[in-house]
Amino acid sequence: MADPFRHPRPGAWIGVGLPALLGIAALWLGADSVRADPRDGDGAFGLGLVVSAAVAFWTYPILFRPADDALLRRLGIPARASYWLRAMRLAALALLVVALVLVPHVAAGTVGGTVLAVAGAAAATAWGAALFALAGGARDAVSSEWRPGFWSRRIAFDREMRNAGPLVFAPLVPVVDGIVAARLTVAEPLPAWGVAAAAAIVAALLAAAGARRFERAAPRFSPQAAEMAYAPAPEAGQAGLVSGRGLARLLPARAGAVRARDAAVVARRFRWAGRVAWPVAVVCVLAILRAGERPAVQGWVAGAGAVVLAMQAAAVIGLGRMEREGRRWLDRAAGLAAADRLLGRWAAAFGMALALVVPVGLTWALVLGAGAWMWIGAAGASALVASAASLAAAGR
Amino acid sequence: MTGTMGTDVVPLAVEGLRKKYRRGVVLDGISFALRPGEAVALLGSNGAGKSTLLGCVTGDRLPDAGQVRLCGHDPFKDPASAAGCIGFVPEQPFLYGELTVSEFLQFVAAARRMDASAARQESARLLDLLGLAGAEGTLCRELSQGMGRKTAITAALLHRPQALLLDEALNGLDRTSAEHLVAELDARRGAGAAVLISSHDLDFVGGWCGRGLLLGPGGRWTMLEGAEWEAWRRAPGLAFTE
Repeated sequence: MADPFRHPRPGAWIGVGLPALLGIAALWLGADSVRADPRDGDGAFGLGLVVSAAVAFWTYPILFRPADDALLRRLGIPARASYWLRAMRLAALALLVVALVLVPHVAAGTVGGTVLAVAGAAAATAWGAALFALAGGARDAVSSEWRPGFWSRRIAFDREMRNAGPLVFAPLVPVVDGIVAARLTVAEPLPAWGVAAAAAIVAALLAAAGARRFERAAPRFSPQAAEMAYAPAPEAGQAGLVSGRGLARLLPARAGAVRARDAAVVARRFRWAGRVAWPVAVVCVLAILRAGERPAVQGWVAGAGAVVLAMQAAAVIGLGRMEREGRRWLDRAAGLAAADRLLGRWAAAFGMALALVVPVGLTWALVLGAGAWMWIGAAGASALVASAASLAAAGR
Repeated sequence: MTGTMGTDVVPLAVEGLRKKYRRGVVLDGISFALRPGEAVALLGSNGAGKSTLLGCVTGDRLPDAGQVRLCGHDPFKDPASAAGCIGFVPEQPFLYGELTVSEFLQFVAAARRMDASAARQESARLLDLLGLAGAEGTLCRELSQGMGRKTAITAALLHRPQALLLDEALNGLDRTSAEHLVAELDARRGAGAAVLISSHDLDFVGGWCGRGLLLGPGGRWTMLEGAEWEAWRRAPGLAFTE
């Protein structure tokens, strides 16, 4: 973590700092829209959902996919030591998420004990539950005694996905637990800080139990996790990149080629970034149709949309980080200018966001009479920031 | 954790190793053992399964079936003990980009619980041997491919392991460094270490190794030794014949 300060590089600073700065600015300026009042049940639910979902989402890559995992195993570093180091990283991420959700409250002057207790309880519970659940999922995934259950059989269309069933559904546990902890924090007559302290204790116990599970799972699961990270083969019948169709026809040829490539790579390497959009869009559309005139619902929908755009931005920036490992040589050899790369990547990122912003924006406009362009504009701006950060992360 | 050079311990034993990917069977029931002091060539065309085999042996890839023993330890049940036995140089070695060469080697030595002073001396000797003297303060992310590979080789040799597994380790090394490395490996073999080396330089492995494990498409394999190995050395190739 000291490296950006020991050896500052403009690309690294821009790649991380610019999106962070803009994200915080968006949270500050949109405080009234995205702030969930935790003093009522719905607000605590929403705050808990945002915090615990973020923690649950990042647990798997932090716990099982650090770049130095194979090296550490070959050096004989005990699995338990690796587990606790990664648990601390996840805890740092949880604290960062809590800090981010507090930004709108700071802007609005509503930071208080209740907000801190709700966010803290959700973060702590999600942290411990995520470590426990995913370590258990990994243990089951390599156990010869595990058999696919009902939900795992529902994903049996892909053998590898089915075998990873315990892990596919494991992140739901910390999300639900975090929401419950957040809701209990404001439930009468329980004292908020008492619930938060109890949540922290339970989380620590779950994390300790997770350490034992991880220790048993790691020798066999860690090599398997590396193979599970491979992008699945393209579906039968797909022949080549799709270039110059639909809105992409408006792009210059080179930018269009970049868009087609980036869209294909992101769709395969960061499949979750595309797939997260449509279920969130469905929920948001239903929420707006049902109760869109309520400011709290508008805030949730805006927050959910912002989370999806942030996740997609993370995938686009990840694409740039992959290129830093050496793939940029092909762009240079092909004579692709920075403008082609930026425009193409922006188009790929914007295209990924359309699955969310078009239905939600249209529904928003239908119910509330205005604001559709706000969604399109947010997607475009987010894609632009992500693309610029991605190119900065890719380096020269 | 440093290796000991006992000659009665089998550095590497593989029994019935099987591995299958989506594209098909890559390893099909491979069985062999490395004897102390010997060098075995791992041969095969691109995609034959050389890196997969090395990954299964080092614990980086989970085999579908079979057993692996490194100095008698299973890398999937007792990874810490197995780790002390091997020095592995992967085809694309991972280095911490944010650390300098000397910091990276200090970390490796500390992780293996080596004596700090002895590790420093051995690191300096190996870096000098491989032509990296003076690069100790260079960040790993600023190393060329060859320099990065030399750093990884140094890290693998530091604790004097009994089994050395080298995946295309000579690729990208300048001629002098390659000769020095081979001389160092010869010294290690003289002390009882065994080497399994994959390389596309068939003339080199033919002259340096005592036998060869040839991998073919569809999981086929054969151990070339004795007369078969001598015949292969006279006309090295990767064609697989039954």
